[in-house]
Amino acid sequence: MGSIYMESLILAKSNLSYWLRQLRKEMALIGPLKGENNDIVFKTVENIHEIILDCPALIPSPKEFIFPQKEDMFRFSKDKVENLRNDKKRLIFGVRSCDISAIILFDRFYGEKFVDDYYMSRRNNTVFISIGCNNPDPTCFCIGLGSGPFLSLGFDIQFSDLGDRYLVEIGSTNGMDIVKKFIHLFSQPKKSDYDDQYEAMLSSQARFEKRINLENARQKILFEKVDDSFWEGVAKRCFECGGCVYECPLCTCFNVIDRKYSETEGIRIREWDTCMFRGFTKMAGNIWPADKKVMRTKRWYFHKLIYYPEQFGKFGCVGCGRCTITCPGRIDMATIAYRLKVGENERKAD
Amino acid sequence: MKERLTDLYLPSKAKVIDVVDMTSDVKLFKVMPEKTFKYKPGQFLMVSLWGEGEVPISIASTYGVREEIELCIKRVGPVTSAIHSLKSGDDIGIRGPFGNGFSVNRAKNRDILFVGGGIGIAPLRSLINEVLKNKKDFKKIELVYGSRTPSDILFMDDINLWQKKGVNVILTVDRKDRGWRGNAGIVTEHIGKSRVSFKNAHAFVCGPQVMINAVMRDLSSRGTPEGNIIMTLEAHMKCGVGKCGHCYADGKYICTDGPVFSYKEIKQFNLNGV
Amino acid sequence: MDKVPTICPYCGCGCGLYLHVEEGNIIGVSPIRHHPVNKGTLCVKGWNSFEFIQHPERLKYPLIKENDTFRKASWDEAIKYVANQLTDIKKKYSPDSIGVMSSAKCTNEENYLMMKFARAVIGTNNIDHCARLCHSSTVGGLAVAFGSGAMTNSINEIADAKVLFVIGSNTTEQHPMIGMHMLDAVDKGATLIVADPRRTQISEFAQIHLRQKCGTDVVLLNSMMNVIINEGLVDIPFIKRRTENFDAFERVVKKYPPEIAAKITGVPAQDIKKAARIYATEKRAMLFYSMGITQHITGVDNVRSCANLCMLTAHIGQPMTGLNPLRGQNNVQGACDMGALPDVYSGYQEVSEPSSRRKFERTWRRKLPSKPGLTLTEMFDSVLKGQMKAMYIMGENPVISDPDSSHVTEALKKLEFLVVQDIFMSDTAEFADVVLPAVSFAEKDGTFTNTERRVQKIRKAIRPMYGSMPDWRIISEISKEMGYDMGYRATHEIMEEIALLTPLYRGILHHRLDDNFGLQWPCSDPDNPGTPFLHRKKFAKGLGTFIPVDYIPPAENISKKFPFVLTTGRMYFHYHTGTMCRRTSTLEREYPECYAEINPEDADSLGIKHNSMIKVSSRRGTITVRAYVTDKVSKGTIFIPFHYKEEAVNLLTNPAVDPSAKIPEYKVCAVRIESV
Repeated sequence: MGSIYMESLILAKSNLSYWLRQLRKEMALIGPLKGENNDIVFKTVENIHEIILDCPALIPSPKEFIFPQKEDMFRFSKDKVENLRNDKKRLIFGVRSCDISAIILFDRFYGEKFVDDYYMSRRNNTVFISIGCNNPDPTCFCIGLGSGPFLSLGFDIQFSDLGDRYLVEIGSTNGMDIVKKFIHLFSQPKKSDYDDQYEAMLSSQARFEKRINLENARQKILFEKVDDSFWEGVAKRCFECGGCVYECPLCTCFNVIDRKYSETEGIRIREWDTCMFRGFTKMAGNIWPADKKVMRTKRWYFHKLIYYPEQFGKFGCVGCGRCTITCPGRIDMATIAYRLKVGENERKAD
Repeated sequence: MKERLTDLYLPSKAKVIDVVDMTSDVKLFKVMPEKTFKYKPGQFLMVSLWGEGEVPISIASTYGVREEIELCIKRVGPVTSAIHSLKSGDDIGIRGPFGNGFSVNRAKNRDILFVGGGIGIAPLRSLINEVLKNKKDFKKIELVYGSRTPSDILFMDDINLWQKKGVNVILTVDRKDRGWRGNAGIVTEHIGKSRVSFKNAHAFVCGPQVMINAVMRDLSSRGTPEGNIIMTLEAHMKCGVGKCGHCYADGKYICTDGPVFSYKEIKQFNLNGV
Repeated sequence: MDKVPTICPYCGCGCGLYLHVEEGNIIGVSPIRHHPVNKGTLCVKGWNSFEFIQHPERLKYPLIKENDTFRKASWDEAIKYVANQLTDIKKKYSPDSIGVMSSAKCTNEENYLMMKFARAVIGTNNIDHCARLCHSSTVGGLAVAFGSGAMTNSINEIADAKVLFVIGSNTTEQHPMIGMHMLDAVDKGATLIVADPRRTQISEFAQIHLRQKCGTDVVLLNSMMNVIINEGLVDIPFIKRRTENFDAFERVVKKYPPEIAAKITGVPAQDIKKAARIYATEKRAMLFYSMGITQHITGVDNVRSCANLCMLTAHIGQPMTGLNPLRGQNNVQGACDMGALPDVYSGYQEVSEPSSRRKFERTWRRKLPSKPGLTLTEMFDSVLKGQMKAMYIMGENPVISDPDSSHVTEALKKLEFLVVQDIFMSDTAEFADVVLPAVSFAEKDGTFTNTERRVQKIRKAIRPMYGSMPDWRIISEISKEMGYDMGYRATHEIMEEIALLTPLYRGILHHRLDDNFGLQWPCSDPDNPGTPFLHRKKFAKGLGTFIPVDYIPPAENISKKFPFVLTTGRMYFHYHTGTMCRRTSTLEREYPECYAEINPEDADSLGIKHNSMIKVSSRRGTITVRAYVTDKVSKGTIFIPFHYKEEAVNLLTNPAVDPSAKIPEYKVCAVRIESV
């Protein structure tokens, strides 16, 4: 967050860990590290040299740092209410471009009209350093949405790996703040550095396996009236796990729950919620407006494909491919967009 | 530039100054907020009880009539049950007012028909009192109000007052009891008795979803333009400010884009299906 | 923020997940992407498995009951009190007057300790756990047929199978991540056959759905085998080389031609034939079953029939080929492996077998009892008969989970002394004299064994909440107070002892479990990579044994007074007696109250509307629940989940048990329905 800013610098790879170490004195440093077995996950960085930058979009998305799965809102007692907004300074290093594209929309969603103070407090105190993807996953399709693999604006800081050095593009004042103090570690880029970045981007683009055209899917729904039996078929495979929503870097829904520690003390928390559950729209008096699974699965796709463009001029999907990984029923965005394109019958004939 | 932080979700304190038992499961709470605020008929408050939760409740009073705010609350779930156990002098939390609220400007110089069912009379009461403030701006004013049983009729005192002020009131109940001499049956069976000019009238409808749907269709078939049939929708809500997503339906947030919609909008956005 | 890799505490799938920890708070959960079971997915319970851990209702300190109310006690006092009481009762009556219930929710190490505590410290074989209520028929049935009662294959083989025959398992709801592998197989072209009286989600993907009447599984399976034999689809070389007792078995099966079976099961003969042909002729055929097979008075017979079918067609002993009982609890496989059973030590070594008993006696330095103990269902009978005087229950809630609840509560009231160790105040704990606060999966180290025999590490993510203590420590402390110092400093030391005494687990040690997501037993030595599928080349017991099985109808038949069949089970959003899931807001919101699925035709004829309240009564009790009118259940049958203590369906269920496994018949009882 912060206002827009634009400047490019070069950081030698050998300077990276010194820079991060200095920054870590002022803020928590979080980055992609080895988890169980071959997994890579975002964690607090203990050893800077263990950061793994050559990784795909990680599960779960970095929205967990600005909109956590569970967040304490208030602590209340008999005569006091304490607002538990989190304003700890953090640097999240190694985020993917798709996630930055999502955060740009998050900023609009939570920042416009009514400002969500829990989100904004975290957001104002978090700097994201994203990295242009050199190595997209087979599930990735940001390329079809313009939300990756490299961004031209919207990031705090974007790294492009140029072999022995990074091209460091600074896109916000928050980003500049953490560079400014250590400007001696950086140098000015040459024209050839931009050429190398362009080359890296071309080579990354060539590696994408999926070409998903969501516009195609949107038009199909809007103008060709997709049969309800199509959505019935989708809903039939839904496991109601909520994974697509939990994983989605653009899903924003939450539930608010009170927990009592005693008669007068307790906390009010919020938790990720998902429209995939029938209880999501439940009303008092045993009324379940979305009791049928098909209403809920359809709603999710309509929100992302139809209403997001109406509201924000962008799809509610950045092509990170997480739902492809996490959907046990294989009814993720990429699959559905593909099935909308080819139609059910042709798919069966495959 | 950093974004300004608000206390968007922090309820402000209000004191319960009176509790009136209205029926076996409905109570009227008169509350005095710490900070007074302006509100419109049809707007709602997020009413909060620490340890129990928050629920959206539409305001039953009218701004400028009295200082306190009146909330008519039916006991339906755990939070409303907890609110029902409050006594005068207790504290309650409120956030709001939220929602677009009713607008009566377009209804000026026309007939107005209010159709209410059950607890749906609460937001209509706010609106009727608002309309009666400037009664001469409107032509005929009528109310059709349906309840489960005669003892479930809410705001009988207000209804008598409205009648005195020239509002034609048609009451009906689903189930008669021995003392009841009035109408029976659902509201749509009695809308026809109204003397408003349906083709030009503005209708304000509030009640359970099934009733709203039936009334919308009925009025539409009598020639009331779809843009003039106005109602408030209900939904599961956790924030009231378009963030939590629970009331989101086909591109619209009931809490911020509504809860007041016209039949035209409801059809256009397919709202009542969800 | 740290992400601690661990294993989901709900079902037997054993999905890998991370607990997200920030400053001692658990703030979230995410799936492990490369885990062989869940591969980056989780079910709704997994995704929400963090919420109950730090719930304010967790038990915070030991409680001792005085004058019918609980009072706070120190650990010292509580441990001493329990130790003294148990010692006194043991002296006053006998070691066998004490019963121990271990827990399929606890780790292998804890189950092993509980079993050691019962046998070496108390000196009784009266130890059992809830596997009695779910898969005791599997353990017993398959031991005789194959020599090992566990899933023969691995979960990540499923997607490559050619035929999946799922009988009595609501897989996508009860083992969701196994369901996912099944759907993957179907997508790749596998044929799915589902036999289930209910129209479950998995059945909607089946090419053939056999809707047998509740309790007629033996007939269905026998008639499928009848078709296979008659049509010459039998694998003769396999039967000759690898099995025994075929002739006796064949004689019985001959009595079940599909036309007769159709009358009993309600499944058309054509469908039986079709299913039999598909299953028999394709290689890479996997058979799956679960509670629909085991929870009958013929549970063992049902399991034997499944085993017969596999042997008849040689569908065993290869990858993607075998017989796969899907175990319910996260560690029910482990609790059985650890010998939390009345007749065996860890690794199914029989207590009545002198050589194994001597081995344990030497290591534990105590004389051990040789007579098998009482099963869980028998323990309550024994209490009512006045023989059993005290019980020590760890992490189980028999008041809700056992059939005919009023019988159980009566027994608990009669006990002289009851210790309950749990994380929440359960309905069973209400009856206790002492309640000991234990910790959840997030607060301790140890191992769980999932349904595919994979022993996996769970890792401590936060310190024990409030004043609670890990179960293994509590057991050790009581044991020490009773004069037997177990002396373990950490759970890996317990695992070392397990490995020493248990051939199946010989190579399974904590430090080996960090890579490759654990090890699948049998694992014969510290270099052995584990066993992805069983019975390769020969059955665990040598030759596989065909066991002839005749049809026995359910214990309770419908009558004029009780004209409906009630079948019980789990539902997707809840789990067992609900101590964890019902304290999880999302799960509780989805299904906050008990319900009964009823067929539209039945609802019509009784004048029952969707969402209206109905009264369901059996010979043992009555509950009032909401009606869900759905064609998921067939005419004449209703289904009620057993998670709800408010309307506990086990007030209705029949406590009749399988004669050998002692598993109760949860799946069939006769009821009457009235609208309220």
